[in-house]
Amino acid sequence: MTSKSARQAGRLRLLPLVLMVVAEGLAAQQPASFSATHSGKNEFVIQNATLLTTTHGRIEHGSVYVKDGKIVAYGSNVSAPASAPMIDAEGKYVTPGIIDPHSHMALDGDVNEATSPVVPQMMMKDAFDYNDKAIYRALAGGVTSSLLLHGSADMIGGQAVVIKNKYGLDRDQMLFPGAPQSIKFASGENPKRVFGDKKQLPSTRMGNFEVMREAFTQAKDYQRTWDEYNDKVKKNDKTATRPKTDLKLEALVQVMQGKMLVQIHCYRADEFLTEIAIANEFGYKIRAFHHALESYKVPEALAKNDIAIATFADWWGYKYEAWDAIPWNAVLAMRAGVRVAIKSDSDDYMRRLNQEAAKTMRYGGATEDEAMKMLTLNPAWIMGVEDKTGSIDVGKDADLVLWDGYPLSSYGVPAKVWIDGDLYFDRALPGLGMPQFQEGQ
Amino acid sequence: MTKSTVRLAILASLLTATASAQQKAGSLAKTGPTTLDPAKPIAITGGKLLTITHGTVENGILVIENGKITAVGAAGSVKVPANAQILDAKGMTVYPGLIDSESHLGLTEISAERNTNDLVEPSDEIMPHMHVADAFHAESALIPVARYNGITNAIVAPESRDTLPGQDSFIQLAGADATQMLLIRDIAMPLNFTGSQRRNESFANAQYPQTRMGMAAQMRQAFTDAQGYVTKWEEYNKKKAAAKATDSPPSTPSRDLKLEALLPYLEGKKPVIVKAEEPNDVETAYALAQEFKLHVILNGLTHSQAIYDKIAQWKLPVILGSIYDEPKEWQRYDAVYKMPGELSKRGVKIAFASFESHQVRNLPYAAGFAVAFGLPYDEAMKALTLYPAQIWGVDDQLGSLDVGKTANVVVASGDPLDVKTVVQHVFIQGRDVPMVNRQTELRDRYSNR
Repeated sequence: MTSKSARQAGRLRLLPLVLMVVAEGLAAQQPASFSATHSGKNEFVIQNATLLTTTHGRIEHGSVYVKDGKIVAYGSNVSAPASAPMIDAEGKYVTPGIIDPHSHMALDGDVNEATSPVVPQMMMKDAFDYNDKAIYRALAGGVTSSLLLHGSADMIGGQAVVIKNKYGLDRDQMLFPGAPQSIKFASGENPKRVFGDKKQLPSTRMGNFEVMREAFTQAKDYQRTWDEYNDKVKKNDKTATRPKTDLKLEALVQVMQGKMLVQIHCYRADEFLTEIAIANEFGYKIRAFHHALESYKVPEALAKNDIAIATFADWWGYKYEAWDAIPWNAVLAMRAGVRVAIKSDSDDYMRRLNQEAAKTMRYGGATEDEAMKMLTLNPAWIMGVEDKTGSIDVGKDADLVLWDGYPLSSYGVPAKVWIDGDLYFDRALPGLGMPQFQEGQ
Repeated sequence: MTKSTVRLAILASLLTATASAQQKAGSLAKTGPTTLDPAKPIAITGGKLLTITHGTVENGILVIENGKITAVGAAGSVKVPANAQILDAKGMTVYPGLIDSESHLGLTEISAERNTNDLVEPSDEIMPHMHVADAFHAESALIPVARYNGITNAIVAPESRDTLPGQDSFIQLAGADATQMLLIRDIAMPLNFTGSQRRNESFANAQYPQTRMGMAAQMRQAFTDAQGYVTKWEEYNKKKAAAKATDSPPSTPSRDLKLEALLPYLEGKKPVIVKAEEPNDVETAYALAQEFKLHVILNGLTHSQAIYDKIAQWKLPVILGSIYDEPKEWQRYDAVYKMPGELSKRGVKIAFASFESHQVRNLPYAAGFAVAFGLPYDEAMKALTLYPAQIWGVDDQLGSLDVGKTANVVVASGDPLDVKTVVQHVFIQGRDVPMVNRQTELRDRYSNR
């Protein structure tokens, strides 16, 4: 974590910073063979592959040179030291690692703190179960990074955790270094149902949005109280009384200060517009609408506000607010200038997001590059890590997938998956197909 | 990638052919109304025919007349009727309509909205007298969506919450009303034994049957009652026949629709679809079915890797459980993905099923994914066409491109099993069904503002 982001994030962010330091200590305690492979110090060249770079199109007979966890070079002519081990990828494809910007795996069922509609002080990291086999299965599906979000029971949910799917490593070694803090909001049927069933506010969409406005109004008051206190302290005013620190309101202040990426579960076109109006009212930006199945009805509003969508390729009809979902949603929104990502929201679909992205080629004719963006770079942008991963570019983390079969088809299956240049999954290996990991480790 | 440059050239003489039928694969272009008149012969020419029963024919011709396939073969070897309407399928792939061996089509609209669901009657576990045909909603918005990807026929089954939830129907995905779409009512009866049919696992709230023993005992009692019911009527009929005119007639036993519903299955006239996933459940349910000499089709088997060899020896057809079921914690990630290939390798006759309603349309992609995990391609195609037709006893009409069969034919931009393939035409009983559904209508409304 950079000092800048730590400073931006304020007091609440000191905790992860401390954990990162601890994590480095733990890494040293791994068995020798384990750390040798997962050192972030590997050097190798993948040769003779079809590269789908995401940012620079397709390169036939291409190579990728990886060193010290980063992509050092890629292209049809790559100069690498003769000493670097070669991996021949004749007939195979190489893509950036898939990024899943909407997952609830590895939370041991603790997805929703549904006891109040406003719980921004919840930290998903506190529920993160790094031993969950779901992480392994995502990895085997080519997913190298996931955004683990709070559920959609609450209008304002908790703070997400961004991980790299380094299954077999320790909890804190999986946290994505330097990833900004995301927070989950929701809207529509879920909060209505959860609290309505309890005969509580909110039970309608009016109630939903009022609960949000109420929370942000309180947070504004809280911020003013602190501003006044800090002002007095600065002026050496002895009457200054330190206000109580309220972690819930503190988190909302950070939202209003633009220190968190706001990820909103939202289905209906009218609700996008209301969410945008509330964000404007309280001065924060929305990073992405999730599900966003009616984006195709108001894509201009999303594009104009630079709000991405993390959507399903073709899910529909599972509830009333998904009744107008169409499989052309992703492409129609994209054509209107919206940044589109395909996400899983499912421990099942996260294992084959490549096929889901390929559906945008079937419904609406997305190009290969456009489908790849929905799978890698755009979800990375949603999570604020697009400068670190999400494409085959020099200097980026070596999060790479070698594919048997064309990835944007029914037949693409990951053969090898590297994260930070370390090999975490190899289909050719027996057992789980993990180079070092064994049960019980 | 597979963005097809293929255009559909339709003879200008056709009354109903319009420019709107010309559709670039994958584009956002509007799809037009139906183009070909089912009353006249139709010849699909120039396409690659996946016949299923006699290989692939490049540059083939398929002729449809009066709802049937009347000719199939290579160009030059097939006589096209003089008055035939020509559908130029150059660059296209032509294959038989796909069959989904378990769906809930017509029993639900919006999953979370109770009033739109008729999926299962959970008031009791033994409900053989429920007939999905009674609930089947022919106008469901979900059916044209499924059809849009080339699924032309399906089994409609109740949800598997009950051990004996009722009787399945076999449908075609087009028709003026339910009577036309319900091809075979009460074609089979599910017998579910996955453990999720138990009523409550907690001791505090448990109701019978709380365990698998309870489930089995309850079913055994039901089949035994049905046997007793038969005996009772036989005795009555015997007495009645023996009675003299002067005797007072024997008292008529009262009818029991629940037990009567079990009779065709007890008599082995119709198949029971035995659904189980774990090895112990598969063996228990199979033994139970054998106890009553039921005619068995297996269903599920997603976690039965350990007994695939044994299952193969039973020589029973298998409706493959969803390959997307997650493997067990100790299993490799692809344990379930490999199931179709592993069973096929052992000579088992397999059929794919979606177990879906809204996403029936994705059925061919599961078969494609199974190919990536070892199922031979031809077997995957057969498991969507010929094998289910055989399993459901309709292979004289469906499941391949053969002369005399019902013209359920799909014309698509490429490989039926690939996610990117765009289906262009779906013929059901020789009718070129409009490629329109609720979703294309929403797409067109909002993309042309």
